[in-house]
Amino acid sequence: MNWTEKYRPRSLVDVVGNEEAKERLVNYLRSWDRYPKDGILLYGPAGVGKTASVYAAANDLGYHVIELNASDVRSADRIQRAVGGLSRGRTLDAYFWGRAMRPLVFFDEIDGLDPREDTGGLSAVLEIASKKEFPVVAAANFIDPVKHKQLLQSFEVVEFRSLTPRQIIVVLSRIVREEGLSVGREDLVKIAERARGDARMAINMLYSLSMGGDVEALANPMENLPINMLLQRISSSISLPEIRALIEANPQHWKDVLYTYFDIIARSPVMKDDRRLSLLGVVSLVDTMIGRMERERMYFYMRYIPHLLSWIVYQANKWGAVYDGRIPEYRFYLFVSNRAVREELDALLEELGRRLHESRRKFLVGTLAPAALLHRNQFKKLYEWVSRTFGLRV
Amino acid sequence: MQVMKIKYGEPFRIPRRLGDLFKDVVRIDGVDYVRGEGFTVRDYYALSNLNKILIRLGLVLLPMVTCTICGRDVDCEECEYTDVCRKDVNLCLCRECTYSEDVVDKYRLSVRKRVFKG
Ligand SMILES: [Zn+2]
Repeated sequence: MNWTEKYRPRSLVDVVGNEEAKERLVNYLRSWDRYPKDGILLYGPAGVGKTASVYAAANDLGYHVIELNASDVRSADRIQRAVGGLSRGRTLDAYFWGRAMRPLVFFDEIDGLDPREDTGGLSAVLEIASKKEFPVVAAANFIDPVKHKQLLQSFEVVEFRSLTPRQIIVVLSRIVREEGLSVGREDLVKIAERARGDARMAINMLYSLSMGGDVEALANPMENLPINMLLQRISSSISLPEIRALIEANPQHWKDVLYTYFDIIARSPVMKDDRRLSLLGVVSLVDTMIGRMERERMYFYMRYIPHLLSWIVYQANKWGAVYDGRIPEYRFYLFVSNRAVREELDALLEELGRRLHESRRKFLVGTLAPAALLHRNQFKKLYEWVSRTFGLRV
Repeated sequence: MQVMKIKYGEPFRIPRRLGDLFKDVVRIDGVDYVRGEGFTVRDYYALSNLNKILIRLGLVLLPMVTCTICGRDVDCEECEYTDVCRKDVNLCLCRECTYSEDVVDKYRLSVRKRVFKG
């Protein structure tokens, strides 16, 4: 059994970090039936203990968790049937265990739901929670204040944050003790420095170390990857922590990754359209964040971009997007249909590059490619956009 | 230069006359002002932006967090991880507790007290 599984917290006392969040979760579960809100929403990056806290708290307080994948939920009736069926099914267990196991309904990844769909999803979750028949816990990586307005109003909102390196040391110390490892403090410190607040990643690094690996080598090969190498590695990974680690280690390529994924998501022949749209929605959100971070120096977004970006990559990989090995500059041309237009565009780029004193590549990838992607083949619109944005008559 | 320690999410007063700078300060993403209570800062990024303004008035704010285990104040700038940590939590651990032999048991006990009140 791998260590992340073996050391999955059975009790909240073994969930390290996010003290206030754990406290509020317990308060809710102890008084959910007279709580002023309909449910509790845990939000924050993946891998910081949201799901672990739900299961551990349920175990501590005598609930059994009924996890409903939010994307599959279509109506309040269906949720009701799932919960009703399961809680009846548990009565024998409850008899043998000598205590009633009460149901706790848990919706993970609730941010994958689009509230505009009438047929269910978020509105079904809100409806079931408003009946207050059992505690309802939801988890999300990211909350959109507009899209999730209703959810934010009816649910208590609790933020989870990445662990600090010293908290990572606590996570590691437990395993060192229980496995009887002889690991020096310097190695633990190295892992804590490199784990980026992700307990799962830290545990995996400790595991590699115990197998004779070198901590130094564990994290370093991720940094300063060339863009094509980075794209190859993230597009072939199915592990969210690994994708995130690679992306976090290479902030210089965030834009290229975003635009490449924009392209392959938009063109994937196998991806379902609702999935495509939901991913493209997040792509445009990240695009806005990167833009604001650069223009307005809002480095607050540095926290969210890698999480969202790795989520895009992870979901896109899962849903059938395929990276074909072409570098991002190249993709720009894919949207330009004929040779005459391409030549005209080339001339335009040369000219703009000269006038803006930027390297052609930087301008192409950083500025024009996203605009071109938005305008697709409509070269005239792109042309107008360039003139307007740069105040140039070309 | 005056150094003042603050905690994220807890209101404090700025011991300077901000004048025209007040507008700039409350415009920072993550800095809030409530009349009668004072300012609160959400996280590290908000704090560094705030410090860019306050340094002109000879004031620097330093984040302080509390040790979950022993309750001591922890100074993030003194921490061995100061360069790699986001420093946006209110509760962390002090150096002594982090590297003590029985940190796991002490930590469990502290969570039990805080979260389960017993
Ligand atoms: Zn301490």
